[in-house]
Amino acid sequence: MNKSVFLLLSICFVAGTAFAAEPVKIGLMGPITGSWASEGQEMKQVVDLLVEEVNAGGGVNGRKVEVITEDDGGDPRTAALAAQRLATMGVIAVIGTYGSAVTEATQNIYDEAKIVQISNGSTAIRLTEKGLKQFFRTCPRDDEQARVAADAIRKLGVKKLAILHDNSTYAKGLADETKGLLAGEKGVEIVFFDALTPKEQDYTTILTKMKAVNPDFVFFTGYYSEAGLLLKQRKEMGWNVPFMGGDATNNPDLVKAAGKDAAAGFYFVSAPLPKDLPSKEAKDFVAAFAKKYGNPPNSIYPVLAGDGFRVITYAIAQAKTTDPDKLTDYLHTGLKDFPGLTGKISFNEKGDRIGEVYKVYRVDSEGRFILQP
Amino acid sequence: MELFAQQFTNGLAVGGIYALIALGYTMVYGVLKLINFAHSDLFTLGSYLGLTLITSRLLSGLGPLWGTVLLALMVMGMIALTGALLDRAAYRPLRQSPRLSAVVSALGASIFLQNAIMLIYGARNQVYPQNILPKMTLSAFGVQIPLVRILVLCSSLAMMGALYFFVQRTKVGTAIRAAAIDQGAARLMGIDVNRVILMVFMIGPAMGGAAGLLVGLYYGQINFTMGWSYGLKAFTAAILGGIGNIPGAMVGGLLLGIIESLGAAYVSLAYKDAIAFLVLILILILRPTGLLGERVAEKV
Repeated sequence: MNKSVFLLLSICFVAGTAFAAEPVKIGLMGPITGSWASEGQEMKQVVDLLVEEVNAGGGVNGRKVEVITEDDGGDPRTAALAAQRLATMGVIAVIGTYGSAVTEATQNIYDEAKIVQISNGSTAIRLTEKGLKQFFRTCPRDDEQARVAADAIRKLGVKKLAILHDNSTYAKGLADETKGLLAGEKGVEIVFFDALTPKEQDYTTILTKMKAVNPDFVFFTGYYSEAGLLLKQRKEMGWNVPFMGGDATNNPDLVKAAGKDAAAGFYFVSAPLPKDLPSKEAKDFVAAFAKKYGNPPNSIYPVLAGDGFRVITYAIAQAKTTDPDKLTDYLHTGLKDFPGLTGKISFNEKGDRIGEVYKVYRVDSEGRFILQP
Repeated sequence: MELFAQQFTNGLAVGGIYALIALGYTMVYGVLKLINFAHSDLFTLGSYLGLTLITSRLLSGLGPLWGTVLLALMVMGMIALTGALLDRAAYRPLRQSPRLSAVVSALGASIFLQNAIMLIYGARNQVYPQNILPKMTLSAFGVQIPLVRILVLCSSLAMMGALYFFVQRTKVGTAIRAAAIDQGAARLMGIDVNRVILMVFMIGPAMGGAAGLLVGLYYGQINFTMGWSYGLKAFTAAILGGIGNIPGAMVGGLLLGIIESLGAAYVSLAYKDAIAFLVLILILILRPTGLLGERVAEKV
């Protein structure tokens, strides 16, 4: 009898210590391969760095944090598989991912598995209009971006506007939204609205077609790879129309592809660049990142993934639980003005980030991104 | 009219690239009845090797013309070797297996190559130096054509011409054609079929590698996934012209480029690819063997 009590106690004890030592598992889902691999690999670098910092400081609630990375390949189908794998691994929350269409393919999987999802780069409006309680994002939404873009277009005194997108969830959403905002206005006429095929290299057909309707400003809502080629080929055609891009054109590779002379004068709307982040946390982080990897982060989205990670670990520490419902409640209502790397973070009832984030940038003749007043 | 001419030349330049890549698909298919999915990645590899050679400044003393010619020859040579290696590693062991095994092996080789390029060169876009080819724009009758475009088109036409001559007039070319018609009979005639296949796996990829280099030199921005889009189009071009037929691949490539360009200009930009594939379907309904495809004789 005594023996069995002892056995039972020791089992409890062993199980108890095992439980205490069990790390907090957080998933990171990002495009480690595929055409957005540069974003995904930097996401992993950012989160790896932050995990090291957290664990060096004793973890959260006395438990170490373990990050499990899954590759979504920038592709919705791959992402759905990655999400299913993560859901079976006992993760509490998932950070990611970048593309809106990719995130959309995984939302319901995480929702059913009761896993908190914090996207870092998916700005499509409808992602937070579905009533999924456990979905959050550290990036702003496209309607906010469209509002800032439309303001910039008005301010620049554009009369004949061309809008070009690439048919992706994100780019088309931003294009439609901007068109909607400007459509009723007398001053601005939208003379061109169409889509290109992403991942091609020859866009002279599109540029020739666009030039024929003679716009005085072009708003391209797609990604930086295409934007760089558009700028370069526009220059080769001897056409000097000013271009503006959405936040997906915010990448120094754009200038490399277009060349400094073709990129000069290009406007883009974006969350602030890592180098322009004002807070002390951000400056320390950028310095630590540069020290570890040899260069500062190139893009803001990996830093937003870092903010997702910091928010969730902070929430676990504050709410002293890993229960998804309690964490969700805390993120919706408890978290106020958390000092994130990209500014203060709070979430509204939809899971969207509150506050203005977008800024207008312009490329100068040296290829630097200059924040516009 | 000016607009039409401009769009037509835009299409020709892209079509030239499609045609060069399509040659690799069509030659391999002609001899082995195999779709070499890894071909598009050899094309990408050509682009990257070109970049490595340029940034290594190995050829910088030679001046732009001879430097570029030598560069092209080196890239073609290296890609030809890679093609031969690919045949040895991925296809030759499966020569007696069902055709499906070889197709799966081709897919595997494609994934392997693409990820190898990513691991070696990184996932970010790479950019060619801007000042290799002269930046001049010719304008005639209101049509603006950058000189580089004409160079791209001319060099792809020249390579296709050389290949056509090689296949039609030389002994090795005759052997390739013989093996394409009937491997067994060719073997009985004393042709070393394995050698012919090796040859095909060197010439096709060399053309693809050259196309990759041209893309890099002209468009400047390369990415490890770029082969997919070009590969799909080039494969379509090969079918359009009649797969297995060398002049067919050339005609199909140029035609596809022009259809795309004019379709985008006069119908819809967003449906550019849909228009191109619609034309493909129509042509295949009317001529199931493609434009220049030969009627396949029943083998008795």
